[in-house]
Amino acid sequence: MSVMQASQATARELLRPEVLARIKNLDLVARSVVEGFLIGLHRSPTFGFSQEFAEYRAYAEGDDPRFIDWNVFARTERTYIKRFLGDTNSHLMILTDASASMGFGGPPVSKLRYAQFLAASLAYLATRQHDAVGCMIFDEQVRDYRAPSTRAGRLQSVLHCIDSAEARTGTKFDKPFAKFRERITRRGLVAVISDFYCDTENLLAGVRPLAWQGQDVVLFQLLDDQELAPDVGSNVLLEDLETGDAVEVTPTFMQEAYPERMRAHIDSLANAAAGIGADHVLVKTSDSLDQALRNYLLFRQRRK
Amino acid sequence: MSFLAPLFLLAALAAGLPIWLHRLQTQSADRRPFSSTMLLETTEQRVHVKRKLKYLILLTFRVAVLLLLALVFAKPIWTRALPGTLSEASATHLVLIDTSASMQRKDAFDRAIDAARAVVESIPNGALLQVVSADDRIHVASELSADKAAHRAAVAAIEASALRLDFGRAMAAVDRLAGDLPAPVKLHFVSDFQDSGMPVRFADLAGTNTGELIPHRIDTDARFNWQVEYAESTISDVDVGVLGVGESARVGRVLLRLNDDLVGQEEVAGTGRSVLRFSDLPLAPGDNRLTVTIAADDDLAIDNAWYGVIENTPPAPIPLITASGGGLAATYLEAALRADPGANYRVEPMLIGDADFRTLARYRWALIDDLGSIGSELETTLAAFVENGGNLLTFAGHGSGTIGQLPVSRHRVQPAAVGASDNEFLRVGQIDTGHPILAEIEGWQQVNVTQNLVIDVQDGDEVLIRLEDGTPFLLERRLGQGRLLLLTSGLDNQWNDLPLRPVFVSFIVEAARYLSGVERSSKSYTTGNALPLSLIGGVSGQVVDPDGTTILSLADTTREQQVRLEQAGFYEVYTPQGDYLVAVNMDPRESRADTITAETLDRWVASMAGQAPRGSAAALQNAPATVELWHALLFILVLLVIGESMLGNLYLRPRAEP
Repeated sequence: MSVMQASQATARELLRPEVLARIKNLDLVARSVVEGFLIGLHRSPTFGFSQEFAEYRAYAEGDDPRFIDWNVFARTERTYIKRFLGDTNSHLMILTDASASMGFGGPPVSKLRYAQFLAASLAYLATRQHDAVGCMIFDEQVRDYRAPSTRAGRLQSVLHCIDSAEARTGTKFDKPFAKFRERITRRGLVAVISDFYCDTENLLAGVRPLAWQGQDVVLFQLLDDQELAPDVGSNVLLEDLETGDAVEVTPTFMQEAYPERMRAHIDSLANAAAGIGADHVLVKTSDSLDQALRNYLLFRQRRK
Repeated sequence: MSFLAPLFLLAALAAGLPIWLHRLQTQSADRRPFSSTMLLETTEQRVHVKRKLKYLILLTFRVAVLLLLALVFAKPIWTRALPGTLSEASATHLVLIDTSASMQRKDAFDRAIDAARAVVESIPNGALLQVVSADDRIHVASELSADKAAHRAAVAAIEASALRLDFGRAMAAVDRLAGDLPAPVKLHFVSDFQDSGMPVRFADLAGTNTGELIPHRIDTDARFNWQVEYAESTISDVDVGVLGVGESARVGRVLLRLNDDLVGQEEVAGTGRSVLRFSDLPLAPGDNRLTVTIAADDDLAIDNAWYGVIENTPPAPIPLITASGGGLAATYLEAALRADPGANYRVEPMLIGDADFRTLARYRWALIDDLGSIGSELETTLAAFVENGGNLLTFAGHGSGTIGQLPVSRHRVQPAAVGASDNEFLRVGQIDTGHPILAEIEGWQQVNVTQNLVIDVQDGDEVLIRLEDGTPFLLERRLGQGRLLLLTSGLDNQWNDLPLRPVFVSFIVEAARYLSGVERSSKSYTTGNALPLSLIGGVSGQVVDPDGTTILSLADTTREQQVRLEQAGFYEVYTPQGDYLVAVNMDPRESRADTITAETLDRWVASMAGQAPRGSAAALQNAPATVELWHALLFILVLLVIGESMLGNLYLRPRAEP
């Protein structure tokens, strides 16, 4: 095995949720995920990850001298600024659902913890691309908010915000998203990470205005395997983590009717997202994080 | 509210069983957290809630059924405090004073009188009141009235008796008396509540006419008591049993008097039972008065004396007509009659051919050891003896087997003459236990008969015992005014082993009593017993009590057939059959110092309260003091059981469906 192959194997290992669950530091998680992801990405024939060259323009006063192409200056003795495609995306807002239902799942990780991994990884990835990164933690209302910024230390602030989220109360999209719209002024990417246990219309009521506002929205629907294919061997009383309601279900129902309903719900959500020009990505907590990041990059690429 | 049988309330703990089972049932479905029930079948939730509600309702029914069941058995009663129902003024007050022998313990009776007087004083003026006393009977001391002075006088006139009080009998008598009084009746019972007075069945204490029992316990504060338990006389000795109860180191002196003369004394000490023996008593002819007393200071003086009668009469002669003077028959008969101390007889052999049988008329009955051996001359004499009312007990010896017909009885002897053989024996097959001789005798089955006379049974014969082969073994035949008992076997231990068996003694004694016409009589009684007097010639007799007072009036002497013995001591009885003495002692149960517990007394009070007074219109106007609730509870219980069955059926139906 070559050094490169060993490095890729280690990187992929780091993308597995059960491995990441052992790492307490979210910053380290994000770094591990993204670096591992990028190592794999460089070997991919499909993707090339780097800031892509867009144009040269003459240096103007006030430009950052770090972006002067010194090779051109050496040949022409003229100062040109090298501009990249990535510079056109200004910021990424990560909206993470921290309702009680997100506390479901595991081991090794609950949905919320996985969402924290994903959000941190996205934030780290965006920072590497010099995107401004912000985040919002919400449930029935906005619990925490970090405005998008490229300032030094912003990533740490965002990671801290994400890391401190705890699962509690119910979920509502209209009120937190309305608050979010009030605060966001520039166009950018909006990544919503949630299990989306809500009525589709209710979700659209919150997301549609964002699309109208010109935001590029991607919905990461995060679900546990037990939600997609519950393992129920006998009659069981299932208690809703958010409302406390208990429903006694039979194994037959959970093995036959429930998966159909879940599939219909996911499809309904995907259709609704497509209807407003948003992307919908279904993420399982057992999946490694590279798939989600790959989807993100595809999404970002399409938005160029 | 109170309960007549509160122990049944413990059964209410059984209500925990359905609660426990219900908890198991509700916990049977595993409870798990889930992210959202949004996509679950909402009907499942409704079914669960509905089922849970059914569970709770069913559980409520079942718990209620068990609780009610326990309540019904506990017999709850509710004492209604309606104005005028059992108020002091409107109720009829019955004051019952215990005058039994145990109340003479120290100053208990005086305090009982004081307590009764206090009760009389406490009753509101104008309230109806009656005073009664109780020993083995109820004695009305004053008539029903509101006159307190009369009741005070009645209480003061009450005296203690030597009789025993049984609470069950007393309460039954009081309840009958209360039935004639205006309801409601409050019973004030002044007593020491001696434990030995309790009836066998507790239910006997409850009355239906007495609305309320108010006990007034007289504390006896027992310390030490001597009691003469018995005095038994043998042929020459008297054994005296003495019981000391209480503190130790007490000394008493037992004095034995015979016909009022001090003939012996012993010292007794400590607690427990002691037996003293007095010998060489100078008995006078006839009945002797035996008096045993303990000279000591103790709690109860009345049980320090014991009275007995020792008979010292010469044994009555019984002629034994026999062919051989020194035969075994006389020996066996003499031994049997002496073995029973109650049989005072002496056998006088009369040899056939030597004796002067003209004297036979002086006897009530006679014995013949071999009926076939008497001659024709003696047969005529004996036949005349029986015809004139004499009785004969005869046996069939060797002389009877050689003749064709038995003398006197005229029974024909069958040609086979003597049944059975030397190597075989027969046993008794049938016994007429209804005959006075055989009624109380057991042991005939052990008698072995090797030979017996086979005779033809004639009309008028009453076969009392038959052998296994059906031949008569003992029969009775009336001849004129007398009767003849014939045992178809000998008395010399050759044809049978009857004389060697225990049943022989009983048989001879009972036969002697039957043929002599002397009834079994007792000369020892307990206070409260009735002394039977037989009417003979239209006269029963006269009885003189220990105080020397004649009990029967002149008219009663031709009417009364029994006399109640109320005092301890000697009663002199004069009857046409003869004069004799009767000794009467106190019931020994009255000496016991144990009293009923407070808990028992409370139950007694509660049981009285649980009986709804019934009777007159006044009783209907005055509502009952207490109401039994178990009838209503039983009705509710039935409804609950029906409801539980219906609900359980409804609940189980969905489960039965696929």
